[in-house]
Parts: sequence; C-alpha cells; structure tokens
Amino acid sequence: MKPQHALNFIFGIYIFIFLTYLFGPLIIMSITAFNSAEFPSITPWECFSWRWFQEGKIAYDGQHLAGLASDWRLHDGLIKSLIIGTGVVILAVPIGMAASIVLTQVHSRLRTIFYSVSIMPVLFPGVIIGISTVVLWDRIATIGGEGFIADIGRNGIFLTILGQTCFISTYCFLIFVARLQRFDQTQEEAALDLGASQTQVFFKILIPYLMPAIASSAVIAFLASFENYNTTVFSILSDQTLTTVIASKVRLGISPAISALALVIIALTLIAAISYEILRRREDRRKKERQDLLLFEQTKDSRLQKNEKKSFKIPKSVFVILFLMVVGIFSFNQLIKNNLYGPACVTAAEEAKKSKFSEQLKLLQQNQVSDDALQEGELGGNQDYGDIFGDPNLFKDFGGFD
Amino acid sequence: MNTFYKKNGPLISTYFIIAIVFWLVFLIIIPQLYMLDLSFRPNLPPLLRGGPDDVHTLVHYKHFIFGSETSQDNYNYVDIGVFFNTIITAIFVTIINLCFCYPIAFYMAKVANPKSARLLIVSLIIPFWINELLRSFALRILFAGEGVINNVLIGSGLIDSAINFIALDIALYTGLTYAYILLMIFPLYNAIESLDTNQLEAAKDLGSSTLRTHWRIVIPHAKAGIASGCTMVFMLTAGALATPVVLSSPNTYWFTQLIYQWFNMNDNWSRGSAYSILLLSVSVVFVLLMMRLFKVKIGEIIR
Repeated sequence: MKPQHALNFIFGIYIFIFLTYLFGPLIIMSITAFNSAEFPSITPWECFSWRWFQEGKIAYDGQHLAGLASDWRLHDGLIKSLIIGTGVVILAVPIGMAASIVLTQVHSRLRTIFYSVSIMPVLFPGVIIGISTVVLWDRIATIGGEGFIADIGRNGIFLTILGQTCFISTYCFLIFVARLQRFDQTQEEAALDLGASQTQVFFKILIPYLMPAIASSAVIAFLASFENYNTTVFSILSDQTLTTVIASKVRLGISPAISALALVIIALTLIAAISYEILRRREDRRKKERQDLLLFEQTKDSRLQKNEKKSFKIPKSVFVILFLMVVGIFSFNQLIKNNLYGPACVTAAEEAKKSKFSEQLKLLQQNQVSDDALQEGELGGNQDYGDIFGDPNLFKDFGGFD
Repeated sequence: MNTFYKKNGPLISTYFIIAIVFWLVFLIIIPQLYMLDLSFRPNLPPLLRGGPDDVHTLVHYKHFIFGSETSQDNYNYVDIGVFFNTIITAIFVTIINLCFCYPIAFYMAKVANPKSARLLIVSLIIPFWINELLRSFALRILFAGEGVINNVLIGSGLIDSAINFIALDIALYTGLTYAYILLMIFPLYNAIESLDTNQLEAAKDLGSSTLRTHWRIVIPHAKAGIASGCTMVFMLTAGALATPVVLSSPNTYWFTQLIYQWFNMNDNWSRGSAYSILLLSVSVVFVLLMMRLFKVKIGEIIR
C-alpha cells in the first residue's frame, strides 16, 4: 500500500466516524418516531405505527401524549413562529441592504467603526439580546402609560421580532457586503452619465444586481428566526413559538411526538437541500454549454465543437434510491412477518401493558395493610410515633402567622 | 452629508438613514446601554422606578461575589462555580472542536476532489439547519437511562447496570460539542481553501515533513479562520441555552440558566441584567484575546 493510499484510507475512516457522529443521533431519533411505545427508543421495539404523527395516545395510566396532528399548542406556536419569521424578514433584509450600501460610501475611518458596530450583535450571546430588548421596552411601556405604546411594549411577538432583527440584520448585512464587493461601480456612473436620476439608478441597477443576495438573505433570515431559541425565550414573554413549545415539552418529559416533529423537519430540510443542489448543477451545466457554444462561434474552430453523442447514462443517485427501497421493503417485510405492524399489534401491546399494570395493582391491593395493623403499630403506624399527629393540643399554642 | 444626499437622491437617502439609525441606535446600542444601567439599580417594583430609591448600586455584582447577606459562606461559591465551570467547559469544547474539525476542513479543501468536497459540504450543512433543540433531543434519546446507548451496552454485556450519562454531564458535553461544530468547519475550510496548493507541494519537495508543513504553512495561513471559528464556537457555547436546558443534569447549571432563573422565576430583572453583563464582558474579553493572539482584525473574525 502506498503512503498516499494509506493517508486517504485514514481520512476516509475519520470522515466516516465524523459523519456518523453528525447523522447517527438524527437517524436514530427519526426511527424512534415510528415506535408505538411511549418512550422514544429503538431496542424494546413495540410496534410500527404512525400514531405519533396522528392523534398520539392516551397511556394506560391515563396520561395523555398528544401526537403531531392533535397538539394545538404546537400548531399555535407554529403560526406565531411563521408570523415572527415574516416580520423579521421584512425588517432585517432592508436594514442589512441599507447598511451594506452605506458601508461602500463612507470614509475609511468611519467605515471601520461602522463595520465593527454592525457585526457586534453576532458576538453577543443570544440571551443578552433578548433580555436587553425586554427590559428596554418594559421601561418604555411603563413611561408611555396606558395605550398603544404600552400594548406593543408588552407584546411578545413584537419584542421577539425586534430582538431577532437586531442580530439577523447582521447576517443579511454580511451577505450583501459579500455581493457588493464584486459590484462594478462604473455601471452606476454610466447610468448617471446617460441621464438617470439617483433613484432610478438604485431601482434599475443596484436592486437587480442585489436580487440574488436579497433572496438568499431572506431565506437565511427566515430560517434563523424560525429556529432561534435563546433570544426568543426571553422576548416572547407569555406567548409561545414553536421552539419554546418544543423546549417546554422536552423539559416536561420526552415523548416520541417530538421525534415525529423532528423527522418532519429533517425531511423538509433534505428535500430543500437536494432540490437546491439539483437546480445549482443544472444551472452550472447550462452555463458551461453556453460558454462552449460562445467559444465555438467566436473561433469557428471545428476542433472546439463538441459532437459528443448524448448517450443515456444512469445517474448514480438511482442506485442509492434503489438500495434504500430494497432496505425499506426488507425491513417492512420483517415487521409484518413478526406481527409488529398494524392496529392488532398496538392493541396487543396495550393489552399486555394493561394486564401488567393491573397485576401490579392487584399485588398492591393484596399487600394492603388493614387499619387495625396500623393502629397496633406493628408496621410503624401512628402508635410508634407517640401518636403526635393525633394529639389535638399539638397546634393549640401556635399563635398564627404574624 | 450633503454629498451623501446628492449621491443617493432624497428618497433613498431617507430610507438609508432611517434603516441604519433604527438598527444601530434602537436595536443595538440603546438596549445594551439600558441593560447596563439597569444592572446597577436595585430590584424595585415598577411603581417605585424613578423614585428616590432608584439609585445606582453595586448590590447585584456584590451578590455574585459574596452571596446573599443571609448565607454562611464568605463567597458565593455556587454562582462563581457555575460561572467558571461554564467558561472552562466552553474553552474545552472550543479546543475539542478545533481538533476534530481541522482534519475535515483540510481534507475538504485540499485532498478531496471538488465534486466530493461539494457533496460533503452540502451534507454537513443539513444537520445544521435542524433546530438546536431537536438536535439536543436526539442526543437525549441516545443517552437516557433506558436510551439506545445504555441498551446496547447492557445487551452486549459490557456493563451490568445503566450508566447515568445525564447526571455525569457526559450528555451535556457531547451535546455542546455537537451543537456548534459546523461553525468551526466552515471558517477553517474557507481559510485553508484560499491557500495556494503550490506552497504545499513546494514544502514537500524541499523535504518538509507533513507535520512541519501543517505547522509552518497551513496553520499560519489559516489563522484568521481559526480565530473566527474559535470565537464563534466559544461565544455560542458560553451563551448556549437550548442544549443545557435539554441535556444538563438537575444539579448542573449553565450560566445562562442562572440568568434565566433570576429573570423569569425570581422576577429579579436587574440581577438578571447584571449577570448578563458579566457574560457579555467575558465574550468581549475573549474576542479581544483572540484578536491579540492571532493578530487579526475584528472584520476578519466575522465574515
């Protein structure tokens, strides 16, 4: 084995471990969404079921575990998250754009200060941005008295939009700065020379040039707002967004419904990423073809003309999909063979648990001690403590609360 | 100012000025200054604010160092302990992330062919788009008492009884390392990618060992990326709230959780502000340290 190969081999193993570390937890979490047991796990596999995506279940001890479709708090939080995300996009994108354009116009001395202040919010911990927004607006609401100002100053959605805009504007700002660095200023000058007004230059030249940056910063701003927790948890006050609902659910006890939610989000992310990648590749290919064609037209050199026959090639991704399908069908077969799928299995598991529960109950009832036994003190009843709780004079001298 | 107006036209200039002033002044500067001011004031009910009792005081900072007046200890060991535990853990997490990510970043930038590097980048971004809470939740499933890891270990006969990963804080540290690892990879990748490959070949031809090449060429070239990645990871780890909420054991606190308690459960906003200021000053000191250590400007840290 050559040393180069050995190196590549080690790199390969390392990357495999790294990817396992990144994806393993997510994959396991996704699988647990299909287990019908109350606790999200794989190894004591109960039944394959869709219940966590639907109505959830009422556990044998009466505890209600809501599924995705029936959880109104989740729906409520989702709607508020969408409202906040939209608000943040509307505020943050124009702010980031204005700041980045002005950055190209100010003098170098001022520019450093301006740039430093603009990127500061990224360096602040998120909790601090949330807290500072809340304390300031609470003060404003107090000073403003009753009425409109007090209302918005204590409105969680409004405060969250402001708090998130504070640092998400910086993300937008950085995207615009990167795009503006490649801007050809002579375009503006040409337009001005040809008699365009400044406003026209802005709308006809700068905005079209910045359009890709506007789109990507809007997407980033929305996503950043949607998944933010640290700032939101302070500034949302008594309202709830999707992330704070998830947080309170996780803290109260972990349920497979959260796995189901995570799986939905993972699936959406995957679809978005794959379609973005496909679009990008198509765009690249088209650009390359156009360039080749242009080159050929200019030189008229037949050697440059590419007359490759377009033979049909099977894309590699098909194999991946086929492999996944085979694995899926095989494991599903196994599930059905072992009677681990369908309502029958769920009922059986439920019955088993219920009988176990009632057995325990029966055992408890058998062991129940009679009142007499308690009184006589053989089990450490009242007598053994000198019957202090039976003493009517115990609280007599208690003077009450001052 | 006049030239500014002339250059952009009245309409656009007004938009620029409103947007920037609103952002810099109303969203960034005033809230921070007001919080700083509030941290020096006693905790009063809203009606007494602005009254004679509303004076500047150091009571909250004193509480952080010496504890409450009724406590027995000379110093506030609990809060100070949490504070330093948070910082030291965050530093360790940063170093571990750096060590993990450097080979990956180097591989993506210089060893792999562009197509597979591209694929790797896209697949690395995907987990980053998933909510931090849900990623922590995934680890919680793995590390829980009846979780996957315990079941596998017991099933294979390696251990007899379940290990309580959450009480041992193993889950918390793994979760924190997991949460922001991608913010380390990308600055490193960008920095290493801009290195001319010819330099590496020249070093190799001149007989430099692999280790020496990295130490003398790659790392000095990538120092801005290293500074940037370390700063981002440290900041986010020290200021993390979601991961500790999900993964920390009941008797371990993260400093942000302490702030959260003062703020939301004990309703002592000015003390919460004071503790926030402490966290903020740590962040600022760390950034300055990084800038000094790696001799980079603040603009190079965040890109």
